Amino acid sequence: MLAVLCAQPSSWQHGYAIARDTGLKSGTLYPILIRLADRGLMEARWEDEQPAGRPRRHLYRLTPDGLASATTALTEVTPEVKATARAGLSPRRRLSTQG
Amino acid sequence: MIDLTRAMAAALRRSTALMPASRRQWIEAVLAEAAEVPAAWQRLKWLGGGLRLAVPGIVRSRGLWYPLAFAAAATGIAWSAWSGPPGDSAIGINRADVIAIMVILAGLPWIIRRACGPVASARLPGLVRIGGYVAVLALILAKSAVERVADAPPNNLGGSAVAWTGEAVFLAVMAGYAIVILACTARRPPALPATMVIGAATGTALGVMAYLLGPLGFPLRFAGPWPARLYDAALVLGALLGLCAPVAAGLAAARRAGRARSGGFRAGQGAIAGLCSGAAAALVVAVLSTATIAILPYDTGLQHWAVGHIGQWTPAVGGVTSIVHSRVGYVAGNSAFAAGYLLVLLISPLAGCAFGAWGAYAPPGSLGPRITRAWPRMKRSPIRARPARQDQ
Repeated sequence: MLAVLCAQPSSWQHGYAIARDTGLKSGTLYPILIRLADRGLMEARWEDEQPAGRPRRHLYRLTPDGLASATTALTEVTPEVKATARAGLSPRRRLSTQG
Repeated sequence: MIDLTRAMAAALRRSTALMPASRRQWIEAVLAEAAEVPAAWQRLKWLGGGLRLAVPGIVRSRGLWYPLAFAAAATGIAWSAWSGPPGDSAIGINRADVIAIMVILAGLPWIIRRACGPVASARLPGLVRIGGYVAVLALILAKSAVERVADAPPNNLGGSAVAWTGEAVFLAVMAGYAIVILACTARRPPALPATMVIGAATGTALGVMAYLLGPLGFPLRFAGPWPARLYDAALVLGALLGLCAPVAAGLAAARRAGRARSGGFRAGQGAIAGLCSGAAAALVVAVLSTATIAILPYDTGLQHWAVGHIGQWTPAVGGVTSIVHSRVGYVAGNSAFAAGYLLVLLISPLAGCAFGAWGAYAPPGSLGPRITRAWPRMKRSPIRARPARQDQ
């Protein structure tokens, strides 16, 4: 999750894209997003304009504090997760793309 | 599948109104993203995750934990009361019992709230209220289990007017207990908080002691004469303590009320301390003893003790006398059971009230300082403000 958010720290990402990349379900993903936002590690906003054919998305990205904390945390995790962060893909998706 | 997805999306959309304002945007985000998720099973799972996020938030913000816990307990007890062997007349009474007690326990808080306010914000009254409700529910559960055994054919007393009258009285007594529990733990209690704490603590200790001294709580299978004599002596001491405890509770409550109060006020405090003491003792001993009988309905030791000690309380209803040797005597039959612990539940608070009021007439010189009427506020973990930066 942190790896996905760190992969493109300046760009805003929406919930389903993060869920797709991390393999997390909505019931797991959103509590994490809420906790990160509550602690000031992530900022959230709605899309500015109403797109045609779909509702406005809620967008997320790490704050500078969040990015620093996430980078620190990622240095302590396994090489596989680091590789995932570089690829910007979840382990599940990596396996599927390799297969 | 499409209909189910629509229904779930609608439920999630409606749940946003019940969420706290700070959390609504997250549920709206889940809904907005649902349009991106491929239709059918995946979208259903996505929306299910949203509901999993919304429901705990709603329960927390609306204070629904207690109603939900009560509903779960009620469901468990109803399931227990509904089951039983065919032809057991106790089932009908048990079902009526459970329905009536759930209505009473669910409805009374609304009524007491108008008179005495909601539950006090301190931690102790909340725990006492939960404990009291748990005790009443446990008594209903144990009683239904005992009656299933006691009223199994051929000792079928169910359907008789006496049995139903006994149940009606039992329910009225339980409603009285619920009123005492709710009023004593409310924000505007009828007495000083210290009075009720003294009474409830004394009564709980007394109830446990009575249960341990009674053969229901202590497996009395003494072979030698000395242990039996020691037990008899302990019984006498226990009976004396049982009489003295409400008096002591009344005296202690009067002392806490303070010398500046009038004699009538102190007597009132003593009476309420005694009432709480008697009610707590009766509830504790009734719950523990009935549960013991429910677990050991055919225990020989219990049968002998019941014949010797409580068997004579059994009213002459139907075939109770003839079955006294095959089952624990005083639980044989609904009315007999009611006559056993119903008497304890009925008399103990009244006797405690009288003894407590008597004990409260203490010499004014022995009374302490006056104390306040409200429950102490709960000590919440303070959210400390960050010290202001001194940027200079």
